Amino acid sequence: MEFNAQKTKISISAVAVILIVALLCAGCVDTGEASKEKVLRVVFNEGPDTGGSLDPANGWTGWYVHQAGIYETLFYYDADMNLMPKLASGYKQLNDTEWEIQLRKDVTFHDGTKMNADAVLFSLKRVLDPSNSRSSEYSFIKDVRKTGEYTIVIETNDVYAPLISSLVDPVMSIVSPSIVDADKQPDGTGPFKFVSFEPGASLEVEKNPNYWDGEAKVDRILIQYNKDSTARTMLIKSGDVDISRDPLQSEYSALKSNPDINVTSKETLRTYFLYINGGKAPFNDTRVRQALFYAINRQEIVDTALEGVSGIPAKGIFTSTMPWNANDQIESYDYNPEKALELFEEAGITKGTDGKLYYNGKPFTVEIQTYTKRAALQPSAEIIASQLEKIGITSKVTILESAALTENAVAGNYDLSLAAWSTAPTGDPDYFLSSHYLSTGNYASKWLRYSNPQVDKWILEARTETDEKKRAELYDKIQIQIQKDAVLLPVFYANEIYALSSNVTGFEMYPNEYTIITKDIGFA
Amino acid sequence: MLNEYFIRRVLYLVPVLIFISFMSFSLIYIAPGDPAEIMMTSPSGGYDEAAVEAFRIAHGLDQPFYIQYLNWIKNAAVGDFGYSYMSEQSVFETVLNAFENTLKLSVLALAIALVIAIPLGVVSALKHNTIVDDACRFGALLGVSIPNFWQAYLMIIFFSVIIHWLPASGFGHGTDISYMIMPAAVLGTGSAAVMVRMIRSSMLDVMGKEYIQTARGKGLSEKIVIIRHALKNALVPVITVIGLSIGFLLNGSVVVETIFGWSGIGNLVVDSILSHDYMMVQGSVLFVAVIFLLINFFVDLVYVWANPEIRYDKTS
Repeated sequence: MEFNAQKTKISISAVAVILIVALLCAGCVDTGEASKEKVLRVVFNEGPDTGGSLDPANGWTGWYVHQAGIYETLFYYDADMNLMPKLASGYKQLNDTEWEIQLRKDVTFHDGTKMNADAVLFSLKRVLDPSNSRSSEYSFIKDVRKTGEYTIVIETNDVYAPLISSLVDPVMSIVSPSIVDADKQPDGTGPFKFVSFEPGASLEVEKNPNYWDGEAKVDRILIQYNKDSTARTMLIKSGDVDISRDPLQSEYSALKSNPDINVTSKETLRTYFLYINGGKAPFNDTRVRQALFYAINRQEIVDTALEGVSGIPAKGIFTSTMPWNANDQIESYDYNPEKALELFEEAGITKGTDGKLYYNGKPFTVEIQTYTKRAALQPSAEIIASQLEKIGITSKVTILESAALTENAVAGNYDLSLAAWSTAPTGDPDYFLSSHYLSTGNYASKWLRYSNPQVDKWILEARTETDEKKRAELYDKIQIQIQKDAVLLPVFYANEIYALSSNVTGFEMYPNEYTIITKDIGFA
Repeated sequence: MLNEYFIRRVLYLVPVLIFISFMSFSLIYIAPGDPAEIMMTSPSGGYDEAAVEAFRIAHGLDQPFYIQYLNWIKNAAVGDFGYSYMSEQSVFETVLNAFENTLKLSVLALAIALVIAIPLGVVSALKHNTIVDDACRFGALLGVSIPNFWQAYLMIIFFSVIIHWLPASGFGHGTDISYMIMPAAVLGTGSAAVMVRMIRSSMLDVMGKEYIQTARGKGLSEKIVIIRHALKNALVPVITVIGLSIGFLLNGSVVVETIFGWSGIGNLVVDSILSHDYMMVQGSVLFVAVIFLLINFFVDLVYVWANPEIRYDKTS
């Protein structure tokens, strides 16, 4: 009777093991397919947020769909920051407030619709509509109208010199007028068209065979988004991606010595700088702010916090890639602790017997507030604090959420605040200078508490000056003056790092962060 | 009896959920930072004041706290969870989509956890105080102590960078299992470590019981005694631990999701909190809470099934 052996019962665990092995094998087989297609795999550090709209007119989503090569704008900046026509073929200023823009005649959208004046009007009006959350940034526009099949006219309320460069912002991407669902099915003119999207994780695009500027070199691009720089570094090391944006700076030399990987870095438009609370004593004294400029050793910050690769010491507020910078004319405040101490002394901050600095009989203390979103902020703040300590200033670093940081700044509840700005993403100085140095500007009034009538006059004049040369002269004067006033303290210009597989060709870095994927990227 | 219990439990859920939604709404409201300002801050650095003001009005953020909350609850009561401030997409759809991704990882992670934990726990108990037991316990201790992120990096270095078996991270359309193995393994081994210790002690407990002696006395083979008599009974307390594990797995792990670029519910909750996306915070927190409550409820039901000694009636 015992010969009737028990039927083998498969336990749950055995089933699970079999399942996992089976799934594993399924995964392995998958990878072999479709190898004839040229697929480029890239990893970016940020993308459309986890909620998942792909509409370029929605907030800052435009950055990411533009970076992916789906959408294009009327004008753009090339890799050397020259303003160039893209979907436009040229422009002409008709009078003080009217600008005519001529459009390319050979462009079609991914859905086959023709790109013409109607399409451009449709796209611009989506942004100018008061219900669009960013419409107020374009309140200088009075009207846009069609004047021909391929010409439009933009009329501004007042004379507004930065008009053309304001169209470079990807929020102004040109969208097909026959688009059905802009959130889920992007439809642009770029070298790549949309395939699929997983919010917060990945975006897939394929070659647009009818691209007006020649076919792209790869057939398909898989973009994944990963916020972890260590993971992005391992992805390029393991060969899982061909391009990795912003890998770990500490791995820079290791990646560089790897024969399968090329590393490139380039200065961007991003400046790391310290807001100084000009409304609080003793920082309301220009000499004290100038002393702080002298007290900071920018080279040391670059060499330590940035490990010599992710930035270069700053001079003025604009990086050297920014066409309007006046860095060769402004005061440079090279590291000079003696000079700093002299200026402090003049301002009544004196050395006590213990070697510490005292202000009004109390130890002179400086708190540096910053946030963590960008990896370089905290280490840089700590080194700045230690440099201030060295000359006798009691310093500390406070890390806050960026929202809390803003709240403190607006309440006047801070000494120094370390921030990172792409100071001129549309390539024009007006926005940053107006917000930070025009006394009514948001950051001038709420953060810096800075007001200089002369600077105000120049800024307003420059905004309406359409003669490029005269405009440049005004911006030079402004930059010289604000540096003299030591309003905010530029620390370093950020370099962006990319790691590429050695067989990737045609990749170029664009300083304004709007353009990453182009038709020219391919494989050797 | 069970029906009445069931209804009572479901009714309890309502005040609990209202309480949770109120807590999360007020906490995020009190937390420093203005959602309008955060939403309207450009990746290049600043925000436009007029845009911030317009945003505030458009989304009713200029209303007092209680009005905002009442508006939310009024809509939520009829199943309208609103739209994300950030992406302008339906909160409900977004949460569901993120949850689906989390669910995929969780199922695999749980399978991995059980496959590791049950045999190891049983072996550890049967061979207790031997070198095998020590090894199992050491492994479990290691599993509990190793931080997830470190284990994740170690696995990536080994499986992707060195032997190239698995992709280092990524989503792979959400269907390609090779992308799920490492994140699920990281999550699964963590849960397994806790389960192993629980199963071991529970098994030891049961193995000393009289009915095990009886079963052996009947002449049943040791295998049957262990599997059918000991393990089944030993699993009753383990169910609680498994239930908790499922709860935690389904709530998503920010660390694992971030490193492996997996867009699950954990990242969604944290991102929406950081950006003060009130609607999304409310929707996702509530969803997570419901999941947790349902699992607890389910675990209670499983108890009854697994152990007839437990009864949920009025006298208990």
